[in-house]
Amino acid sequence: MGDYLVDLGANPHFRQVVKTLGLPLPLLQKLARAKGPWAERELVGKPVVVGGVGEARLTGVLSEALAAAGAAPHVAGGTAAFEAYQAHGEAWGTPPRAINLATWPDSLVPHAMVFDATGLKKTEQLKSAYEFFHAGIKRLRPCGRLLILADNPEETKNPATAAARRALEGLMRAMGREVGRRGATSNLIYVAAKAKPRVAPFVRFLLSRRAAFVSGQPLFVDSAVKPAPTPIYRRPLEGRVALVTGSARGIGEAIARAFAREGAKVIVMDRPAESEAAARLAAELNGELLSADITDPDAPAALAGTIKAKFGKLDIVVHNAGVTRDKMLGNMDEARWDMVLDVNLIRLIAVNEALVPLMPDGARIVALSSIAGIAGNMGQTNYATSKAGVIGYVRALAEKLADRGITVNALAPGFIETRMTAAIPLGTREAGRRLANLSQGGLPQDIAEVATFLCSPGAVGMTGRVLRVCGGSFLGA
Amino acid sequence: MATARNRSAPPTRRAVIVAGARTPFVRAFGDFIAMSTIDLGATAVRGLLRKTDLPWAEIDAVFWSGVILPSSTVNVGREIVLELGLPPTIEANTVTRACTSSVLSTTNAVAAIERGEVDVVIAGGSDSTSNAELKMPQTLMRKAAPVFMSKKATAADYFKLLGKLDLRADLIPERPAVRERATGELMGESCEKMAEMNGITREAQDRLAVQSHHRAAAAAAAGRFVDEIVPVETKAGKRVLADNLVRADVTEAQMARLKPVFKRGGTLTAGNSSALTDGAAAVLLMSEEKARALGYTPLAFVRSWSYGAVDPFDQLLIGPAFTMPLAVERAGLTLDEIDLVDIHEAFAAQVLSVLKALGSAEFGKQRLGLEGAFGRIAPESINVHGGSVALGHPFAATGARMLTTMANELHQTKARHALLGLCAAGGLSAAVVLEKA
Repeated sequence: MGDYLVDLGANPHFRQVVKTLGLPLPLLQKLARAKGPWAERELVGKPVVVGGVGEARLTGVLSEALAAAGAAPHVAGGTAAFEAYQAHGEAWGTPPRAINLATWPDSLVPHAMVFDATGLKKTEQLKSAYEFFHAGIKRLRPCGRLLILADNPEETKNPATAAARRALEGLMRAMGREVGRRGATSNLIYVAAKAKPRVAPFVRFLLSRRAAFVSGQPLFVDSAVKPAPTPIYRRPLEGRVALVTGSARGIGEAIARAFAREGAKVIVMDRPAESEAAARLAAELNGELLSADITDPDAPAALAGTIKAKFGKLDIVVHNAGVTRDKMLGNMDEARWDMVLDVNLIRLIAVNEALVPLMPDGARIVALSSIAGIAGNMGQTNYATSKAGVIGYVRALAEKLADRGITVNALAPGFIETRMTAAIPLGTREAGRRLANLSQGGLPQDIAEVATFLCSPGAVGMTGRVLRVCGGSFLGA
Repeated sequence: MATARNRSAPPTRRAVIVAGARTPFVRAFGDFIAMSTIDLGATAVRGLLRKTDLPWAEIDAVFWSGVILPSSTVNVGREIVLELGLPPTIEANTVTRACTSSVLSTTNAVAAIERGEVDVVIAGGSDSTSNAELKMPQTLMRKAAPVFMSKKATAADYFKLLGKLDLRADLIPERPAVRERATGELMGESCEKMAEMNGITREAQDRLAVQSHHRAAAAAAAGRFVDEIVPVETKAGKRVLADNLVRADVTEAQMARLKPVFKRGGTLTAGNSSALTDGAAAVLLMSEEKARALGYTPLAFVRSWSYGAVDPFDQLLIGPAFTMPLAVERAGLTLDEIDLVDIHEAFAAQVLSVLKALGSAEFGKQRLGLEGAFGRIAPESINVHGGSVALGHPFAATGARMLTTMANELHQTKARHALLGLCAAGGLSAAVVLEKA
């Protein structure tokens, strides 16, 4: 299941040989991933260059988020911004340094560059984003982070302002292509007018090593879900009861492990055929085992009944169980279509409807979609149909549950190294891996980290969305 | 920050500090090299008993503490009781909490007295840095023990063992160092980072260090410590009467010439850091009733205390900036009502970092949940009789030294309240508010 090019790229001898001989081989950057549970100061000591344009409205929250996470801010631009960083730096022991983009200091090799574009009004001002990233993009550390914060283009009546805001997405995506080979990511957060206090957890997450495989994505943070709980940065899932369907192995297993690590009581659920692996995992995580086949018509009610009896509530559900039955549409028999649609969409909805009554205010729902559901894959009409359906489902359900403080999101993995993708023919598999900014497949843990974040209290600012975890895949982007 | 748990009412029984005594504080590997922590502790307690003429039968317990504990006799307090020939019925325990150890043994004693469990307790701490045990590599034990512990081992097994041992990996003892297990940093390295984060200059550190030396020297010259220091007769027959790290005539110019020791281009030097020291200090605590019944003059009440911890990967020694405000709040006081502030000087840079945080409105608002700064405290106003940079820092003795000096100061001057703050390894800290009795 390993990616040989990543392994070779991490081998110093191989790198030397390729460089010396000038071989036309890509040297891939092994992604830096977080080890261990969430920490209060995930960015401790990491240099972060911050800049902005006009009267940025996020300076306050951004400076506090970085200070509290322990980052070492390097502030490009106005004195007002610098003072905000100074104030928070004083409180958290992270004194800012002022830098001049024109005379970038040699010693500064930043972990991240963050551009606050919330002051952006006119297309002419996009120049300042060019100046900011132009000055530092080549200095970025391997596995570094580029991040833009902007106002939502749909929230302005001025067409030119909307153009400027939307333009940033193009910049972000294109930068992601440029820095991907070095393992670095580029993302954008569109912050709704009233969502300012909700943005900090997103900034901290995207700048951390937990977001290693999230690249080229615009995220939308809004205030739709009420009320907003206080973010928790250590053991964010303490005391939560979480159900992960299809969690005996692969991505589901990684999610179950990450949830347990962050303090959740995990219900490991899989088909009876997988019950041995599922039982072992449940025991290891001190969780609960639920053996059920969701295609069984009685499953939803039985599931809800068991959970209610054992725990009385369900704080988190991750709909991960899924199948593929690939065939070109003309050759696809009815059984293949029915099977995939049934497991991935019809039964998912049935199970979810049965579980929602058990969910208290502030609960979290995540459904696994796929970039195939966004882009459509050859030979996967059934799969793409089901995974696109998931996107429609979360969007509408999110609106229904917003007043209960419940977020509902879809998570769309790109190419992830699992048993499922290992079965893909070599040529297709290689294409899947390399057609992304990071030129490599992700690991189940990458999905698990994002799922954990989406299920944390601090992720209240996002609902009804699809978050792609695809390493900046070219498919459907 | 932890929320304040105010005592709704003062305890009905109150503990008082009656007296304190300590050995001179002597640079490690010097005059006290042949004295173990038990010898040093026994010396301090013996001095305290002589000075107070305390009837031995009145003693209920010895609450001791240490940081470098002898592995064969960890309960140093109990050994002190037996070493001195005190009644064997005196209960004893030994706690450890890095440099705040003897503050913990003292507040444990106060709590026990105020709960009515005991009436008279000797609390304190001792450390002999000179006698830190050299630790052989654990790999030696793993290789050698199966042979040594086995009754069936033959000469051939011993020869085989010799072949297996590696001179460098197995036979060279590990060097003891003041290194954080979690971060792997020497404490001075962590403090260098703090100096940088808080913008503490070399000059400010040296100024505080010189102030510490001058004040300690002045206090000693004025006889202020005569009542606190117990002369020690070493095994070599030498009488040690006074602290030997204090430099009465040191100047800032001399300090400025010293080289940084923890980091190239750094600001921490041997001059503005506390040195490895041997010593012991003890405090006599009683219930107020008992003290009056036995005819003692109470010096001070322990009005409140607080313990806390910070992330050692953050600012390792910033803890007092959290615990000092909390102790003041628990005492029901404000900083204006505090007359004396005594802060343990692990490093001048650490003290100045703590003062900077306490004086920062942003720190107060964001980290302490106050409306503004806890309060500005000028470096010149603290540590009226010097601190650990000048006097030395035998880890577990420092807290009892500070408590003794401040209790005496409250008794001898018009000051009503003293605030003590100590940082410690592991990101720990402690603070105490003393009140004139």
